[in-house]
Amino acid sequence: MPKANDYAILFDASHCTGCRACQVACKQWNDLPGEATENWGSYENPPSLSSETWLRMKFTDGMLNNEVFWDFTRDACMHCSSAACVESCPTGAVNYREGGIVTVDQDWCIGCRNCVQACPYDAIHFSEQMGVVQKCTLCYDRVSNGLEPACVKSCPTGALHSGTYAEMKKAAEERLQSLKAAGYKDANIYGLNEMGGTHVLYVLLKHPSTYGLPVGLSKESSKVATGWLSAGIAAAVLGFAGVKWLSDRREEVGGGS
Amino acid sequence: MKGGAWGIYIALYFWLAAMGGGAFLISLSLKDRGTKVLGAWLALIGIVAGALLLIADLGEPMRFWHLLAGIHPVSVMWLGSVVLALSGIGLFWLIISKEWPDWLVWTTAILVLLVVGYTGVLLMATARPFWSGSPLLPWIFLASAYTTGSALLVLFGSHSEKLAKLSFAFAVIEILLVAAHMIWTYSGAKDAITAAISGNLAWAFWGFVVVGVLIPLYMEAQKKALALAALLVLLGGFLLRYFIVYAGQVDVMRF
Ligand code: SF4
Ligand code: SF4
Ligand code: SF4
Repeated sequence: MPKANDYAILFDASHCTGCRACQVACKQWNDLPGEATENWGSYENPPSLSSETWLRMKFTDGMLNNEVFWDFTRDACMHCSSAACVESCPTGAVNYREGGIVTVDQDWCIGCRNCVQACPYDAIHFSEQMGVVQKCTLCYDRVSNGLEPACVKSCPTGALHSGTYAEMKKAAEERLQSLKAAGYKDANIYGLNEMGGTHVLYVLLKHPSTYGLPVGLSKESSKVATGWLSAGIAAAVLGFAGVKWLSDRREEVGGGS
Repeated sequence: MKGGAWGIYIALYFWLAAMGGGAFLISLSLKDRGTKVLGAWLALIGIVAGALLLIADLGEPMRFWHLLAGIHPVSVMWLGSVVLALSGIGLFWLIISKEWPDWLVWTTAILVLLVVGYTGVLLMATARPFWSGSPLLPWIFLASAYTTGSALLVLFGSHSEKLAKLSFAFAVIEILLVAAHMIWTYSGAKDAITAAISGNLAWAFWGFVVVGVLIPLYMEAQKKALALAALLVLLGGFLLRYFIVYAGQVDVMRF
């Protein structure tokens, strides 16, 4: 679980207009180039995060209960407390830092991309030019100097907030209550339990899956445990079958060649 | 590859390490020393070649030593790197020893088994539904290590007929496991499975099924050209790794 005084960001989908000021601010502060993309039938652009896009707004649309919906949600690193990227990294280059922030030590990273495969949010990416991975830093260089993250600073509608984890959690809970009182019965907070609790919390109006957010995530450690257990059983069963097959025929097999 | 997907080097590495490792493990249950030494050589070559491919695939190959120096036991890849290095030492030791003490044979065998098995765990511990959706990848990789390992020994002319039989028996187990894995993961990994069955990976998947399993089985039944059948089994082992590695990433290899 995140600690009360950890750094945190709150994204409130009920205030977001999809203007993407945050997306641009992130590029500017972090000196990230634009990407040449092609229209693929949605205002969502670029179509995914990359080593040069650490934050983008995800646009979802369709029909729900005979009503058209068009929703926006944040797509960036969640700064997980049990982060799959951290646990999968063989070198420890991507790791938890002060205040629960997850960042990459680019002088130690070897570019094996195991973290890229492991992150359930597709939030960490390999840079061909640099040979290492990069992602959202939660603006560590700003927040550790008392400034707000660039994306939060730029938001014109009040959909983004930053502060300590305890403050953001409280703000999320208060907002949830007033949304429920206003009749949004499906409103919910996302990130309280995902991946051990994330340092970026979302207030959503509908079920997270309608925004394309993953639900029912399992932690890296339980995937690893299942994997080793299965491999152990496989080795026992298949190994035994092979050895038995050969030893039954040992005289024939071992006899000559 | 854009976006940093795992590609051909990784598929080749899985294939070589498992093929050599499988040959060593199988040679251990045989009687004659010559085959055992051959098995140890094949495993060492497979593991060294695999490790070099792994390093060449890194974004910063000169930092390869961080793989061990990072000391991060919760990471499957860190553990894999350790067993890879230790198994290489064990095999080398066996090759230069006249006597094979039991403890050394056992330790090396377990390390080699871990090298083969960890590759399956590595893929399972990801966010890719086709790899993590079922617990069967370690089974498939182990079965395939036996299939390709015994076929490799056959190619080197050792105990051809019996080992060819073993190889084909494991090929049948392997293809059943692959079918079970695809059914098991289908609900979460439709794109991957469609790509394998009828999309741009169909050549690798059907190549594995037909060229890597069905044709060799037919040749075995006809008692024809065992060496050629064994060669096809090896090719099938590569196609299997190729389609599994790429199919797992079809959703993310987008731009
Ligand atoms: S969202 Fe992904 S990259 Fe960010 S901390 Fe979690 S696992 Fe790591
Ligand atoms: S690419 Fe870098 S940060 Fe990611 S797992 Fe490999 S060494 Fe760790
Ligand atoms: S916290 Fe900083 S790095 Fe992260 S998305 Fe916002 S602006 Fe980008």
